Amino acid sequence: MAKATFKGRPAVPGNVEGSVEVSHIGFNTCATYVDVLIAGSDSGVCQDHDNQDLFGHDLADKIVCIPQTIGSSSAATLFMIILDKGIAPKAMLFANHIDSLAACGILMGDNWLGKRIVTVDLLGDDFLDAVTTGDKVKVHEDGTIEVG
Amino acid sequence: MATHQLNGQIGTDPNFTPTTHTGHSRKHVKASHDHPKMKLAAEEQEIYDGKKGDVLQKAIKTVVAYGELFGAEKLVDLGGAPHLAVSWGSDGVEPLLKIYKQLAEAGLKTYAPFTADPKPMDPVHLPVTDQEQAAVDKIYNRMDELAELNMKLGMRSKKDWSCACYLPEMGNTPNRGDNLAWSESSAINYVNSVIGARTNRNSMGVDMLCDILGKAPQFGLLTDEGRQAVWLIEVKTTKLPHPEMIGSAIGFKCMEDVPYITGMDRFISGIDEQSSGYLKDLGAATASNGALGLDHMEGVTPEAVDKGRDLLNEGYQTYVIDDAELDRIYKTYPNLWKDKQGTPQRVFLGCPHMSYRQMTDWGTRIVDAMKKAGKDKVGVPTYMFGSQYVKDAFETKNPEVAKKLKGYGVSIPINCPMMWCSTPVEGAELVATNSNKTRVYTTARFFFDDALTELIVTGKLPANVA
Repeated sequence: MAKATFKGRPAVPGNVEGSVEVSHIGFNTCATYVDVLIAGSDSGVCQDHDNQDLFGHDLADKIVCIPQTIGSSSAATLFMIILDKGIAPKAMLFANHIDSLAACGILMGDNWLGKRIVTVDLLGDDFLDAVTTGDKVKVHEDGTIEVG
Repeated sequence: MATHQLNGQIGTDPNFTPTTHTGHSRKHVKASHDHPKMKLAAEEQEIYDGKKGDVLQKAIKTVVAYGELFGAEKLVDLGGAPHLAVSWGSDGVEPLLKIYKQLAEAGLKTYAPFTADPKPMDPVHLPVTDQEQAAVDKIYNRMDELAELNMKLGMRSKKDWSCACYLPEMGNTPNRGDNLAWSESSAINYVNSVIGARTNRNSMGVDMLCDILGKAPQFGLLTDEGRQAVWLIEVKTTKLPHPEMIGSAIGFKCMEDVPYITGMDRFISGIDEQSSGYLKDLGAATASNGALGLDHMEGVTPEAVDKGRDLLNEGYQTYVIDDAELDRIYKTYPNLWKDKQGTPQRVFLGCPHMSYRQMTDWGTRIVDAMKKAGKDKVGVPTYMFGSQYVKDAFETKNPEVAKKLKGYGVSIPINCPMMWCSTPVEGAELVATNSNKTRVYTTARFFFDDALTELIVTGKLPANVA
């Protein structure tokens, strides 16, 4: 039985499960993947030294739980690059409303590369208090998240 | 080589603000709310179903999904002409170039000829060393590819690169009420506020897809209710405030909520050649310290002139700006120069690109100050940024001033000063600027006009601001 259940909006729906990486501060896409952008790195390890929750963690194929993305407008293209390189998270779970930069990147990756990051937003502030890095979660295509 | 500044610090959100970046707050939206699907017209449905080819189908599917996430219930036809923010060809935008290539190979073009933001470099008017140029060439290794794709997709001409495309000399000026899908934040604020056209703050990529379709999802600033103000800004300064400072203050406070600004009609009587430059810079500052896409100014901007305070929603918040508040804002600007007390190496004027009037005013100001000081060379290399069109107009109509400026060592580059500063090889130079936008996105320091003039003439900052 799940430890907790949350219902969000299935922004890019899908059924996936796996272990989570949790950030309690805004996810700076550009800073996280700065080496991918600048140096052509093939690593999904978070490089954002301001994000002590995720810095040094490999986010590839993980379920990343965040309040919202922040930072550079290069974020949209970065989502497409990490999808193309196969180092993207398998799901992104937003406590807040998705922003246009993440939305644009994830949707273009979905429609133009045929590679999907399952995305759920509007999960609420309590969601990030209920998940801990390493927890197992199930994401359902209707936006339901089962934690534990 | 200087260290780069790309660690999340460039782009639409240098302050890392939790906004939607669309210019329209969605803080009120919950998962439990109704999230309607978009209703498509018959011709749109045909595209969606793939009857007009798979490339157009991918375009409309992306645009529809994007719109639905932000509450759009339908697509609207676009008017005016497109303007695109992608102006640098690097490996970082390769995914967009791949999409552009697919669009071009399918024979698609934008619904009208488009303009684009300025290129990052101008090797003619703002040259760098051979070593730096080699590094720049590696960073912007896809410039030719981008330019070629742009021309195939409908770019108006090879000289149509400027963020201030709406100025009369460049002529990509929409009409009031035109729906657009622009993505340059300063241009978005200008055409929404000063002209009364309608565009959301679109992400790069989605802008091109909308422009290929000739349609945009109707939400936020494309709707009457999305253009209502939720902030009343009462300006109580003793004189016309500096546009960068008041824009900065409003941006910090309102983030992406629409403000209704009062008290400015004491200083500005309407939209003219002078005030349009002022409003351009004010809007750019609101869009760089915040994420504003629209501001109404009582007695000045067209929707405020027509509707007055009916533009204010019930329950609005109030923010009073006086001289002390602007002074407080100015004092929050950090000094990010590597050598904090160093001597500035360059002066950058104009971000967004200067209007003709601004270029003429600054050119005259510099000439007068140089004459008064009896100098024949500027004390620090000085650059006035503008589009090729504005530059041509300025040099044609003011040949004597232009000749003197050239002789003094003042250049008129046509590239983007902000991107120039953000390019890794240039990042550590000590740049002084009159632009809050350049300040926000780079390590450049902001100074007021008098201090910059003294710097330009003497090569030194006044003691009271150094």
